[in-house]
Amino acid sequence: MESEYFFNAGVPPQALLFEQTSTSSSMPIWQSHSSPMEMQDNCSAHLLFNSTWEKSTGHGPHLESTLSSMVSSPGVANCNVSGESFMELIGKLGNIGNRNNPGEISPHSQPMLAASYFTTANNSANTSCYTTPLSSPPKLNMPAMDQFSKEHLNIPSLGKPMGLNSSVAEFTADPGFAERAAKFSCFGSRSFNGRISQLGLNNAEMAKGCNPMMGNGKLPRVASSPLLKAPESQKRDRSSPLQDRSDLTNSQESSVSEQIPSEEAGVKASNELNSRKRKALSRGKTKESASNPPVNATKDAETDENSNAKRIKPNEGEENEIDPVKAEEPKGSGDDSQNKANSKPPEPPKDYIHVRARRGQATDSHSLAERVRREKISERMKLLQDLVPGCNKVTGKALMLDEIINYVQSLQRQVEFLSMKLASVNTRLDFNMDTLISKDMFQSSQPLPHPMFPSDSSASAAIFGHQQQPNPPLHSNISDMDPLDTAGLCRNLNTQLPPLDGFTQNTHQYPTFCEDDLQTIVQMGFGQNPSLETFPPQNFQGKERETEIKLRTSLRTYESSCS
Amino acid sequence: MASKHTIATRHAQGIRARFASRFLRSLLRLRRRSNRFGGSQSNDEGIGKRIRTDRIKIAAYASMARAVGPRRTWSRALLFKLRNRARIHGVSRKRCLVSEKKRVTRNKVVVAISREPSRADTLRKLVPGGDSMDTCVLLEETAHYIKCLATQVTVMQSIADRLLL
Repeated sequence: MESEYFFNAGVPPQALLFEQTSTSSSMPIWQSHSSPMEMQDNCSAHLLFNSTWEKSTGHGPHLESTLSSMVSSPGVANCNVSGESFMELIGKLGNIGNRNNPGEISPHSQPMLAASYFTTANNSANTSCYTTPLSSPPKLNMPAMDQFSKEHLNIPSLGKPMGLNSSVAEFTADPGFAERAAKFSCFGSRSFNGRISQLGLNNAEMAKGCNPMMGNGKLPRVASSPLLKAPESQKRDRSSPLQDRSDLTNSQESSVSEQIPSEEAGVKASNELNSRKRKALSRGKTKESASNPPVNATKDAETDENSNAKRIKPNEGEENEIDPVKAEEPKGSGDDSQNKANSKPPEPPKDYIHVRARRGQATDSHSLAERVRREKISERMKLLQDLVPGCNKVTGKALMLDEIINYVQSLQRQVEFLSMKLASVNTRLDFNMDTLISKDMFQSSQPLPHPMFPSDSSASAAIFGHQQQPNPPLHSNISDMDPLDTAGLCRNLNTQLPPLDGFTQNTHQYPTFCEDDLQTIVQMGFGQNPSLETFPPQNFQGKERETEIKLRTSLRTYESSCS
Repeated sequence: MASKHTIATRHAQGIRARFASRFLRSLLRLRRRSNRFGGSQSNDEGIGKRIRTDRIKIAAYASMARAVGPRRTWSRALLFKLRNRARIHGVSRKRCLVSEKKRVTRNKVVVAISREPSRADTLRKLVPGGDSMDTCVLLEETAHYIKCLATQVTVMQSIADRLLL
């Protein structure tokens, strides 16, 4: 251990000397020094100072190690660690502790301990013995010098999260390390306060006689959240001294309960917490052992840096931004904002559509949104282009919309016309309707992929050489044709000679018209075109006859093949 | 491309089969009803036929909307309209007509104030439920509506052919 420390210090004899000399007046020297090398020396000296004390009692070796790692790894980078910032840090910690004191109090609260330490160090060593098991005990042997005790109080709290939560070691590489570390510790204690409040709640519950397991159940949940890693590490840290004397803590916590009236119910909770801490200790210990040799600490930190980089980087970024302001800020507001800043990074960034403005395009949100909308519309237009026959050749949205409108209208008219036809069929062909419908229903109800449509399509295709593919040039003429327009219909029928090609989907129904249907249309006066009257019906009736016969035969053959 | 096409056709065929069964059932129902009141309808051929045409048309649209289901906006609007029509139908037709007239005049005023109707507006009138859509959704719904109308037409066509032959 000693050799390690000496190795850390870089100049062991000097440090030793320093330590020996500075036992009485270390603080003034500390504060007066500003140059980095001296600073480092001071740090190491201080560390050695600590180590000697702690070695004498044999407690808290890991604290030393963490401290040493803290000091040694950033050694050179720590140059701007000034005594003032340290003192500010101490003051912050003290503030936390003091603030915590009146509030929810539990023996596990690090700030509370610090506060009690802080306060008791000033007053006497008798009351401070309560804190010994939880934090490093040898410090109690220190002379009751205010600043000195403060420093001692401060440094472990600084070092704890650093040494154990090795991810934090990355902080050491940064110039503003001390401030950041201070904030980290502050943050940790702060968020720990949040946990304390929960603990307090649990205590209250237990006082009421609720299930004591609740406390244990709640704690892991809180600790598992990434934000509370630091407190977790703190807890682990504290759990190591607790290990050797958990019984001692219990007894002393009872003394705490004497000191603080609201603590009475907390004893049970502390017992349970001790058990939990012991569990957590195994994990903590491994980490401690990893970080124990201070020379390796930096390496570990570097290796861990990679794994924990994600978690730390936002913190770093935030703190880098806030740092210069933070150091001078009053404690309360700074801490709050820090908490907020720390709570933000884990949240995933909002999902929004990435729209890139090309060169020369407007970049404000409105035009971006408008561009997105236009893209969407053009996409849909493409979709519609495939659906609507004859839309492929049309360029321009307006014309395409016209085509679409015409197509929809024509389809709706077809539906109307077909329903009219069905109505006429209903009256005229009553005799065979039931059988046909039952047949149709039977055919449609069975899950054949082609219930009824293929029959007529194949029939019409067989007879007329009908083209299923839309024929755009012809269609553009026909698509806007009203199905009820009998003149157009007759024109169609006239041109419907068997070898004819170029019939579109739109018109393939016309050849299947029966003559009586046409006659009914004429009788009902649907044909507004006077040319129909002059039209000789015999002209197409003969053709219709033969087409009808052909259709029937083809349908029969199809049905027979189907069944 | 090929798999997409087959999926689309299978989907369309599913809709077609559903529509066909529904439509045939409604046709049968209509026929039974017309048989029940057969004597009165034979007197005035034209009016009876028009009423029957309307009924069949409505049955076709309704069965199409039911076959599609409430997934689509247009089918939802159609079903809603049909339901409301069924509710209103027995009560009073006059009131409905009057309200329609009023609405028409009001709409005219509004349109005159704002702008002349564009092509999208005419399309909006054609597609059921299109009043409440923006252009993007309108185009999407129009695409689906066109598909469904096409299947409707083919199925009705085939039924009519069968009945006639």
